[in-house]
Amino acid sequence: MNNRRFARTAGWLALPCLVAAGLLAWYVTREPATPFAQEPAAATFEPALLSRGEYVARLSDCVACHSLPGKAPFAGGLEMATPLGAIHATNITPDKTTGIGAYSLADFDRAVRQGVAPGGRRLYPAMPYPSYVKLSDDDVRALYAFFMQGVQPANQPNIPSDIPWPLNMRWPIALWNGLFAPTATYAAKAEQDALWNRGAYIVQGPGHCGSCHTPRGLAFNEKALDESGAPYLAGALLDGWYAPSLRQDPNTGLGRWSEAQIVQFLKTGRNAHAVVYGSMTEAFNNSTQFMRDDDLAAIARYLKALPGDPQRDGTPWQYQAVTARQDVPGAHTYATRCASCHGLDGKGQPEWMPPLAGATSALAKESASAINITLNGSQRVVTAGVPDAYRMPAFREQLSDQQIAEVLSYVRGTWGNHGGAVDAKAVGKLRGQTDPASSSPIILQMR
Amino acid sequence: MELRINQKTYEVDADADTPLLWVIRDDLGLTGTKFGCGLAQCGACSVLVDGHVVRSCVTPVAGVIGREVTTIEAIEGDAVGKRVVAAWVERQVAQCGYCQSGQVMAATALLKHTPAPTDAQIEAAMINLCRCGTYNAIRTAVHDLAKQEGV
Repeated sequence: MNNRRFARTAGWLALPCLVAAGLLAWYVTREPATPFAQEPAAATFEPALLSRGEYVARLSDCVACHSLPGKAPFAGGLEMATPLGAIHATNITPDKTTGIGAYSLADFDRAVRQGVAPGGRRLYPAMPYPSYVKLSDDDVRALYAFFMQGVQPANQPNIPSDIPWPLNMRWPIALWNGLFAPTATYAAKAEQDALWNRGAYIVQGPGHCGSCHTPRGLAFNEKALDESGAPYLAGALLDGWYAPSLRQDPNTGLGRWSEAQIVQFLKTGRNAHAVVYGSMTEAFNNSTQFMRDDDLAAIARYLKALPGDPQRDGTPWQYQAVTARQDVPGAHTYATRCASCHGLDGKGQPEWMPPLAGATSALAKESASAINITLNGSQRVVTAGVPDAYRMPAFREQLSDQQIAEVLSYVRGTWGNHGGAVDAKAVGKLRGQTDPASSSPIILQMR
Repeated sequence: MELRINQKTYEVDADADTPLLWVIRDDLGLTGTKFGCGLAQCGACSVLVDGHVVRSCVTPVAGVIGREVTTIEAIEGDAVGKRVVAAWVERQVAQCGYCQSGQVMAATALLKHTPAPTDAQIEAAMINLCRCGTYNAIRTAVHDLAKQEGV
């Protein structure tokens, strides 16, 4: 009797558990819907579609992660360190066995916009599908055509991730997706004009600017994915760099930049305020310089429409002339190491050598970018195939942690800059994390 | 573009961002100014622009249009520069000599603006690198010049 009652109770309990487990299993492995499910496979693609697809690939900067320097384009291989272990970008050339040559348009769409590979395997959100979901159907179709026919197939097997079992199980990502990844493509806002909407589309979708510039929550989710959220593009610390605010913050954002200056920055890599450095160098080298002028104008229009936050940003910077400050620590290092390019007055040689007076890196309370660029220098900025003539040298081997802390404290506290002092311990920490001789330097490039 | 170098006017065909050093050496053949590090760290490429010392390897040529550039070739045409060169000879400063045109430029710029510099001012201004290690001789020569002015 007792046994029968137990069995019956257990049965009543087991049944919903089984149903729940079944539903969960279905949910985490299902292949999401795609508008291309019924679309017949095309044998060849029109040249116009291919070139549109190539342009969408530029806007989306696929090459940044899916290529390694000197290797076949889009053959994958870039190592990205995560807290759980390294993962590697995959081969997205049309090779049938190691690449995506066997993908249908529907498969491709699920991977790009939903983060789901054929068979229901979830991609890591290092692939910015929470942004790419905004891509229009036409752009996805063009992108597919480009990857099938505009890219040379390369036989290069994917590198398995270093993440150990059971953390390497992919299905929990489906739950993450349910919480954090939107499912809708970009919908134009009727109250805004066409230029604003085009800018919003590029910034939120293919450009995936928020991957670096929007702060992330505890689950590594971007805290906002469009202008409806105040944290959207409000600046974030990532991979040892501080990606500044792209909102109208006069100190840490684009508040002092005109639309024309934003266009100039994205097209030429430099303007009177700044020169690209850090991870933005690659975004410029591979992506933004190839954008059409009308698209750059659209991006500028959209970014200029994102309001700043005086509480977060602080008192707007104003230049203060400094005459004699040779007595303070760091001033002599500045005069000998920095002033030839950036000027004793901190004003730089605008458009070529960036000013440090009023620079984001000297006004943001996060000092990571200032430390990182001083330790490691800047990478080549390549415009239209020509490398730039001027580059920030690396001072890793020339200046101690203390010297770097002092010179950066000087820079961040002079000419009206108010970013605050830099601690030698912070320099030492970033020195270790970015040491090229270390076995696990920071290489996470979640773009 | 038109450049004023050593009180002569040159017509130069160069991109706006070309380093002044390349124009001086490669286009105009004024090879007394040296290429050292290319990163504004060593000072071998120092020239005067409107009497101030700048490192020509990191000076976009467009930035000196309408300004007066002086290179080592014309430094003895300047009263202070002539005295600096004399002091350099007197103290036999140069060893291999590669950095010395830049050192002379730095000393000339210092003495033009501060005829009798203090030790601290000399220390702060004479920051060019010298692989032969002629720093002591440079310091002695500059101190001589500072004293001359003081007398």
